[in-house]
Amino acid sequence: MNLDLVFGALADPTRRAILARLALGEVSVSDLAAPFEMSLPAVSKHLKVLEHAGLISKGRDAQTRPCKLEPETLKAVDDWLEDYRRLWNESLDRLEDYLKTLQATSAKEKKNVRRKK
Amino acid sequence: MSAAKNEIPKDAFVITRRFAAPRELVWDCYTQEKHLKNWWGPKGFKMLKCSLDFRIGGVFHYGMASPNGQVMWGKWVFHKIEKPHLLANTVAFSDVDGGITQHPFAPVWPMETYAETSFEDLGAECGITLVWEPGNATPDQIQAFTDAHAGMNAGCEGTFSQLDTYLKTL
Repeated sequence: MNLDLVFGALADPTRRAILARLALGEVSVSDLAAPFEMSLPAVSKHLKVLEHAGLISKGRDAQTRPCKLEPETLKAVDDWLEDYRRLWNESLDRLEDYLKTLQATSAKEKKNVRRKK
Repeated sequence: MSAAKNEIPKDAFVITRRFAAPRELVWDCYTQEKHLKNWWGPKGFKMLKCSLDFRIGGVFHYGMASPNGQVMWGKWVFHKIEKPHLLANTVAFSDVDGGITQHPFAPVWPMETYAETSFEDLGAECGITLVWEPGNATPDQIQAFTDAHAGMNAGCEGTFSQLDTYLKTL
């Protein structure tokens, strides 16, 4: 799996629409082409990009070549995004707590200094 | 469907926070070793060792232990230092020697992410805005992904919502 290929594949609205259609279930190439007002070769080209990125796969049936979504790829993008978001969010939660501790400590120190005088 | 749900993807790479501390102190927490070791890292992780060379091109290298004792190394490289309002750095998984390694659980994803943090002076408080992105993706790719993500999350559009639901079951 290659992130550049996945991003590139997702960059096109037609390809996103194809993915959305495939989310409903397997479809043959010709059925897939029907709602897009596009020639079969044009749709095939999009499918090739999606297949290359690992977002879809094509079935063995030589007649229909049903296309199938490979959701693990999108899931992996999502997981990756979530991991980094979590890293930042949890770190910033900790920073918030740490800032409270720091300021409580420095307030206490100031108090002690004053008391000594 | 709520408007808020639509806004999530747009903000997928943006995090804002407001801290009850003056800007100088928040800046120090981001830029001094004695502070960084006390907050950087996921919840439950403990900083074992770290070193900071705070300058443009300089590195913050650290080793952390996860709650179950697994040791992970990471590093930042500073790209922009504009005290006291802007800091930009990459964040990457690393090894004990400071090399860059892949995310241990996602070996195919970008080696590093680029983060830009701006610090806003709000008197007794400090607001931060963090914008981050995959280190080796172009802005177009980020936009494409964000758009696609928006599609996946738009429940009222129906089509992608099924995909989204399915993804959650995996």
